[in-house]
Amino acid sequence: MSAVRLPRSPKVLVGAGLVAFFAVLTVVGPWLAPYNPSATSFPANLRPSSGHWLGTTALGQDIFSQLLVGARATMIVAIVAGVVATILSVTVGVAAGYLGGRTDDGLSLMSNVFLAIPGLPLLIVIDSYLPAGGRSNSFVIGLIISLTGWAWGARVLRAQTMSLRNRDFVEASRIIGESRFRIMMFEIAPNLLPVLASSLLFTILYSIGAYVTLAYVGLTSTAVWNWGTMLYWAQANNAPLANQWWWFVPPGVCIALIGTGLALMNFGIDEFINPRLRSAGLSGRVRRASGLPRRPRLGYTPVARASAARAAKVGAQ
Amino acid sequence: MTKEAMTPDETTTENDTVLEIEDFSVDYGWGDSAVRAVNNVTLSVRRSRVLGVAGESGSGKSTLVYAVTRLLRSPGVIAGGRARLTFDDPSSGDAKRRTVDLLAASASELRSIRWSQVSIVLQSALNALNPVLRIGHEFDEVLKTHRREMTKAQRRARAAELLELVGLNEDRLARFPHELSGGQRQRIMIALALALDPQLVIMDEPTTALDVVTQREIVNELAQLRARFGFSMIFITHDLSLLVELADDIAVMYAGNVVEWAPASDLYNTPRHPYTLGLLNSSPPLSGERRELVGIAGSPPDLSQPLSGCSFHARCPFAMERCASEVPVLRELDESGRKVACWLHETPATVPGALRRRVPAVAVEDPSSESTKEVAS
Amino acid sequence: MSDAQLEARHLSRHFVVRTGHGLVRPKKVVRAVDDVSLSLHARRVTAVVGESGSGKSVLARMLARIVTPTSGELVLDGVTIPPNTPRSLAYTSEVQLVLQDPFASINPVHAIRHSLERPLAIHGTPKAEIEERASAALARVSLEPPERYLSRYPHELSGGQLQRVSIARALCVNPKVLLADEPISMLDVSVRLGVLNLLRGLCDNEQLAILYITHDIASARYIADETIVMYAGQVVERSEGTALIDAPSHPYTQLLISSVPDPSDPLRQAPEIEDRTGQGQFPTEGCRFAPRCPHAMEVCRTTAPPLIEVASGHESRCWLYEDVAKVAITTRGQGGTISTT
Repeated sequence: MSAVRLPRSPKVLVGAGLVAFFAVLTVVGPWLAPYNPSATSFPANLRPSSGHWLGTTALGQDIFSQLLVGARATMIVAIVAGVVATILSVTVGVAAGYLGGRTDDGLSLMSNVFLAIPGLPLLIVIDSYLPAGGRSNSFVIGLIISLTGWAWGARVLRAQTMSLRNRDFVEASRIIGESRFRIMMFEIAPNLLPVLASSLLFTILYSIGAYVTLAYVGLTSTAVWNWGTMLYWAQANNAPLANQWWWFVPPGVCIALIGTGLALMNFGIDEFINPRLRSAGLSGRVRRASGLPRRPRLGYTPVARASAARAAKVGAQ
Repeated sequence: MTKEAMTPDETTTENDTVLEIEDFSVDYGWGDSAVRAVNNVTLSVRRSRVLGVAGESGSGKSTLVYAVTRLLRSPGVIAGGRARLTFDDPSSGDAKRRTVDLLAASASELRSIRWSQVSIVLQSALNALNPVLRIGHEFDEVLKTHRREMTKAQRRARAAELLELVGLNEDRLARFPHELSGGQRQRIMIALALALDPQLVIMDEPTTALDVVTQREIVNELAQLRARFGFSMIFITHDLSLLVELADDIAVMYAGNVVEWAPASDLYNTPRHPYTLGLLNSSPPLSGERRELVGIAGSPPDLSQPLSGCSFHARCPFAMERCASEVPVLRELDESGRKVACWLHETPATVPGALRRRVPAVAVEDPSSESTKEVAS
Repeated sequence: MSDAQLEARHLSRHFVVRTGHGLVRPKKVVRAVDDVSLSLHARRVTAVVGESGSGKSVLARMLARIVTPTSGELVLDGVTIPPNTPRSLAYTSEVQLVLQDPFASINPVHAIRHSLERPLAIHGTPKAEIEERASAALARVSLEPPERYLSRYPHELSGGQLQRVSIARALCVNPKVLLADEPISMLDVSVRLGVLNLLRGLCDNEQLAILYITHDIASARYIADETIVMYAGQVVERSEGTALIDAPSHPYTQLLISSVPDPSDPLRQAPEIEDRTGQGQFPTEGCRFAPRCPHAMEVCRTTAPPLIEVASGHESRCWLYEDVAKVAITTRGQGGTISTT
């Protein structure tokens, strides 16, 4: 692909920074954890202190270690779910959009059904049928979350494909005799990359929420530490009532931060797709010095201050 | 109908200028990454006259007029120069002439000038008209904004009157844009542009998207309207042949500069700039012998790359050494007022035969012949 | 004249559309192309001139077989193509189509190399030869040195260069027939002649049969060996060379030519054009141009005229020339009765 110039606005940089931070945490979290998160060997309900940066749970477990170790499962499930859902949505969306006719009717029907069914109840139902071994497997959980997360992206991609389908370069590919599969895969899909990227980020965001909710409700195995399970235990032990903020606030804040990071990156992709949303790459200081307004106004093209002296409105001749 | 027959009664002063543009420059972006789209352009439009602006993509012709009316979208920035609009202002009581510095005007002042004194007809009416509103609504909006004293019935009557001016039936007011043909939509744009009797109408490639028969109809309409109302016009197009028929004066733009400025028939019969000559040679003729034409080698330049010297020198068949390093200035050629920006005309010795021609005695000289010797008039 | 490379016989394409907005939406038949026959020969350029709505683009797509005709047949190299069969790879390698907008017809996310390699790969070029053949195609359209262009992306090239790439892509499969749908109308004026000269050169030097579709009659005059004028889906005038431009016989052709700005003829009167209502609606009976024709007679509104020969190699679909016909007027199922003199 030709060089992709990502926008440098502060939003995107902050978002990317947050996501990168958590990505790193996913990898190194368990190594950085000072203690075994399941070990109940410490005094219970300790406030944050130098020995336990986030205190301990009602069972005497170190919360900070739980947080660090929990990052991995949360993120892995979210990424697996996001990737699988995106693959599903590309396959269904592009096929439906390009092939049209009965294929489109069938695939659209399927997407609409999955969209209409409420995600969380469906997840709970599927999850409750899983054997215990399945529940503790991050990948399996990721897969079933992706089942409820692919339909929206499929619709979006279908619409995009339908608009691309009529473009001249697709017709030109048909004219030279290209097969339908290759057109979908190599001519249309590469043009959908920005939308795909946005869809992927959004789906990961959704998956984090879904996973945390599942865990909070107690439907995932408690042997695997994740932020949702921490919230589950906190709730089960009445931490909010006992004002033990150090137990439930940290995982909540982490979830919020990763979600914010992903959303901010999504803004960046929106700006990349629609160049008019980009500010012309000028820093605020440079703008003000040259007399340009911070926000371009429609119908009032700015005049650079360095221009020749502007006479005041000349009176009647 | 020829242009001459349509020239309105010229009791107004000869050098009465409606729009004056001096040393006008426009950039896209700022600082190091700025791209100069319009470079030190000086032009003027006189009352009731038509100025044609000819150029290809990248010439800056559209950017120029949008910037002058402060309608250029971000990241456009006016980098320098002056632009003044002169008009009769009935609201100032004694119908005096007023001149407004368009670059210094406030937003509200611009809003009051726009459409009542200067209006624009865009290239694609389908894009300019709101697809979910009926045509009548567009007229209503314009009239409501600028003529608050009109009642609804009066507005409706005025809209019908305007449609009739451009040869459309009143029932079009109830239609949506997509229900009309391209030609009809463009006429509606023209009617809208004339709604408030402006002094200056700017037309940005209004007929490019239309077929040649509809184009002819619209050009005829415009001539009639000009005869009736006497407004000035700036007509932007890449079709030089059309301008020769339609415009009084023509400015040819290339890569952001005006390279030649002359009365229309002079420009056609006796081009002085190599680019003008090349453009004229790029249109295959409808009559006469079929010969291979060459047009202009190369392609219009990429403005984001810095250019040294004359922007046309890479494609110019007569380029000298000087042309690669020094930027030519738009200079008056002789007493007739014609201007050209070309080093070839610095000294008589360097002017090639093809650019030296006087008006030929016989009117069918083919300008494409490179080896034309000087034809004494 | 050599045998036709590609011949179209009585091609028609009708669309059924639903009109109106209410619950009951009556169907209407739009005859986009109606009984058009033409033949394309090697080393000849056939120009089809028409405005938008004349059916010229649909005709090109039917000839390329990406649109199925409602009736009529195609004959490629003497072999009739069975009407309801899908387009074969062999047909694709013989007949190619170049589209109007160079910026839209090449995939922006791939380098030029990809756009040239695909047709070569699809039509069985061995991998080792692909790069060489792609470079050869670029050389044929005067984009040299080829290496400079193969690795570039479409947004780095100008309109004229991109259109040449588009033509090169079509040439990759070595077709016998090249169909060009308004190839220069989206290019800058100074670049158009270069592409026109290229097309003419390909025709003369490489035995191609070229169909050149345009709305600009002057460019048709520049390169045509045969000129056809279309209006409302029908051929209204056809002549060898550019005879119909120098001496137009059909009122529509006359209107077209007199509408073109021609500053070299300042005394020519611009035509008085009747105000047209009901844009896009063509009469179902009689001559389709009758509502706009300054010479319309009674017969024109009731009976559709056939193509009548007005001079050697020059035909016109107009009742004005009925008496001029020396040979029996060819009947081609126009509807209505035709009396032969």
